[in-house]
Amino acid sequence: MTFSRLEDRRFVTGAGRYVSDWNFPGQRHAAFLRADRAHARIVSIDIEAARAMPGVRAVITAADTAAAGFRSLPCAAPIPGKGGSALLRPERPVLAADVVRFVGECVVCVVADTAIAAQDAVEAIIVEYEDLPVVMTAEAAVAAGAPQLHPAIPGNVAIEFETGDPLAVAAAFEGAAHVVSLDLHNQRVVGSPMEPKGCLARHDPETGDYFVHVCTQGTTGMRAQLVATTGIPDEHVHIVAEDVGGGFGLRFNAYPEYSAIMLAARLTGAPVRWVASRSEVFLSDEHARGVSSRGEVALDAEGNFLAFRFNFLNDMGAYIAPTGPVVAVLSIRACLAGVYRVPAAVANVRLALTNSVPMAAYRGAGRPVISYMIERLVDQAATELGIDPVELRRRNLIPPTAMPWKTVNGLGYDSGDFPAVLDKALGLADWHGFAARRAEASARGHLRGIGLATFIESTGGGASPDEVEARFGDHGEITIHAVSHSHGQSHETAYAELLAAVLGLPRERFRLRNGDPAVRLAGNPTGGSRTMHGVGSALRVLADDIIAKGRELAARALEAASADIEFHDGVFRISGTDRSVSLDTLIERHAGGPERVFDTRSSARTGSTFPNGCHVAEVEINPATGVVSIERYTAVDDAGNLLNPTIVAGQMHGAIVQGAGQVLGEHAIYDLETGQFLTGSFMDYAMPKAVNVHGLVIADHPVPTPTNVLGVKGVGEAGVTGSLPALMNAILEALRPVGVTHFDMPATPARVWGAIGAARSGEGRRFAHA
Amino acid sequence: MSKVSLTVNGKAVSVDVEDRTLLSSVLRESLGLTGTHIGCDTSQCGCCTVHVDGRVVKSCTMLAVQAEGSDVMTIEGLAPSHDASGATLHPVQQAFSECHALQCGFCTPGMIMAVAGLLKDTPDPDDQQIIHGLEGNMCRCTGYVNIVKAVKQAAVTMRA
Ligand code: FES
Ligand code: FES
Repeated sequence: MTFSRLEDRRFVTGAGRYVSDWNFPGQRHAAFLRADRAHARIVSIDIEAARAMPGVRAVITAADTAAAGFRSLPCAAPIPGKGGSALLRPERPVLAADVVRFVGECVVCVVADTAIAAQDAVEAIIVEYEDLPVVMTAEAAVAAGAPQLHPAIPGNVAIEFETGDPLAVAAAFEGAAHVVSLDLHNQRVVGSPMEPKGCLARHDPETGDYFVHVCTQGTTGMRAQLVATTGIPDEHVHIVAEDVGGGFGLRFNAYPEYSAIMLAARLTGAPVRWVASRSEVFLSDEHARGVSSRGEVALDAEGNFLAFRFNFLNDMGAYIAPTGPVVAVLSIRACLAGVYRVPAAVANVRLALTNSVPMAAYRGAGRPVISYMIERLVDQAATELGIDPVELRRRNLIPPTAMPWKTVNGLGYDSGDFPAVLDKALGLADWHGFAARRAEASARGHLRGIGLATFIESTGGGASPDEVEARFGDHGEITIHAVSHSHGQSHETAYAELLAAVLGLPRERFRLRNGDPAVRLAGNPTGGSRTMHGVGSALRVLADDIIAKGRELAARALEAASADIEFHDGVFRISGTDRSVSLDTLIERHAGGPERVFDTRSSARTGSTFPNGCHVAEVEINPATGVVSIERYTAVDDAGNLLNPTIVAGQMHGAIVQGAGQVLGEHAIYDLETGQFLTGSFMDYAMPKAVNVHGLVIADHPVPTPTNVLGVKGVGEAGVTGSLPALMNAILEALRPVGVTHFDMPATPARVWGAIGAARSGEGRRFAHA
Repeated sequence: MSKVSLTVNGKAVSVDVEDRTLLSSVLRESLGLTGTHIGCDTSQCGCCTVHVDGRVVKSCTMLAVQAEGSDVMTIEGLAPSHDASGATLHPVQQAFSECHALQCGFCTPGMIMAVAGLLKDTPDPDDQQIIHGLEGNMCRCTGYVNIVKAVKQAAVTMRA
């Protein structure tokens, strides 16, 4: 059967409906004045000229948000800090009142009849600032005498986390035959979904209701944040969302602009829409990664790992984004020792504030931070000890017989067969044929390298159960409601196929509504690769609940006891007879009318799962230009059972190439002296292009998890969790023969060329982050 | 203000615009053709790609007044049958769906218009020509793997 998704027709014909596609009668348009400096006191804001511009309806400042009773944007820590310490919370206003703390922070919101008129008026506003000293790196922020960003956060450290047993680790290092250490920098990147964020708010003065159209990964978290910020009661805040053009973690939180647009709608009495320009997206979307780290491994004489010790210093930006601390610490805690048998491990994570955009989630959300650290450290150990990197891994892998495995810090992995995954990847990648390929490349004057990563990650357990609801329409259509919002993950198709298979109905009967304010459900936003085990499990329960209702109705129709009725392929039958009635017939007879007997709400609660994999990358470098080309890439993943392998492969492709983007070029750079953002457009920020990955092979080795009814583990992020370390290990392996001993991402042509030149001339062998 | 008259998806239209108005704004705001997307402000992403007089154009990079008298085709006009219920899709649209060359769908209209233009000039493109042809279009979701596949499949269909 040819592949197609239920959502495709709308997208390929241009009929998708994203935030900027909504229009309401009388709609006005907003634009924001943003801070043009990184740290300054606001002396005065002159809005008179802007107010007088043609078509201007409102000019909103911090005075207005204060009058409206707006509060600080929320933030929290998912676990207590070291020694039970609490997160020190910076006050984060919707519009800056006294101080601006990063370039791009919102200061004034203008509403006008057209977007262009609003923009013109923004340019007529005059803000007088008094500059304050800036601090642009986490290292500088925690240094003695650093400029202080927030009175509530002395020393610029918001919290310090620790997981694992530092004393056991210290003892293991004492008695170790070898100790290997590695400093790494996981650079700041901009997630850059193709749809720029936007918001359209409508206010009904009669009821006090707000309808907020936004780019969202799920309405529950976003609504809670808007309620916390604006003080408007939960029952009056309704999030509306249909199509969302990519998210990757960046569309989870309620950006300050959204609260401002809600206020704008109330103050002007009109629907107000704001859509960010790409420049605004670069300046104000949450950035991600930005982690400096040191890893150490202790080994015995045979190369058995005795202990890991990690220190992470995270650049959190100027404020703590709601999901920032989650991203910083949870993945490290969940997979502290990766796929390895290690008797002791500890990680310390410090969250530092700098004069830059707040940091939060981007594809992987911490998973590619810990996997990158562990897998590069293992390769470093292999190099220093002269052990084959495959052999060193094999020696230390957790064996499948040890599952379920209690991790070194007391958490657990439920299932997995790491050696089998490794073997399959090595075979598909023709690991043993590499020497010949390297010789052939070197005959052409190119450097060729191979690298691997054996990794594990934890999917999101979810803060609440996942509820789903089926509503049966009058024309046979069945509308499914769920919270977890699709921003590219093919939920419409995946959900329909899951239900269709269980209920024996065609998938075309199902449609999906994620962001319908009329249906309030408990649930979790899309994130942490969790939707299929979370919502999917709830859908499986929903199908069973519908079948149970059908069974009762079938028993009545067939005049039999319901215990004697079996259900198979959409048909209820009295066991051992040919007397039957189809579910479809029962739906036709009973779904309509005021009782809506088939309408069903169900829920499920699932915990984390542990997708794991082995990725093998092979690169070639032209030493004359420094250009890195990815020649082969093999991904073997254990994502548990796969429901739709084409969709799964699509998720892997996207995530692997996003990883390749960070490895080869993506880098969000601030000027260290002024705090100006230097990579603020697609001309300056190197997005991956069609050319980036050749010879991509996606395969699976499923070990179904017993932790949910579907046996699925999740696939959204494994691609990037594997590709950062696998690709960088391959690049360093290519560079070692010319004398380069260390290299931090990104491997841009200029940096690679510089590293080769420096190593050859004897100037330096380590090419660290600038 | 100027009056601009042009043909869009086979229909003659006439709109009053400020001189600085972009073609993309006319399509999206004045004519309600929201299938043409805006993904950047520096002519890089290609989400806004349309055909003007049969040539591939980034509509965010052309002033509406420059399109005076021209024949514009947007994603809404690409399929042979315009009515939403009709099953007919353009071979490029069909191939994108069958090859899973779209996820969130935001880049898709521009990508499809660019590919339709590419295949008109280069009916049998090799990998290099496809990669070169897609240089002006970004997709954050798919990693381009299935987009390249879709271009090849569409090329085969269109040559047949
Ligand atoms: S919107 Fe036209 S190229 Fe990006
Ligand atoms: S499908 Fe999402 S940007 Fe291409």
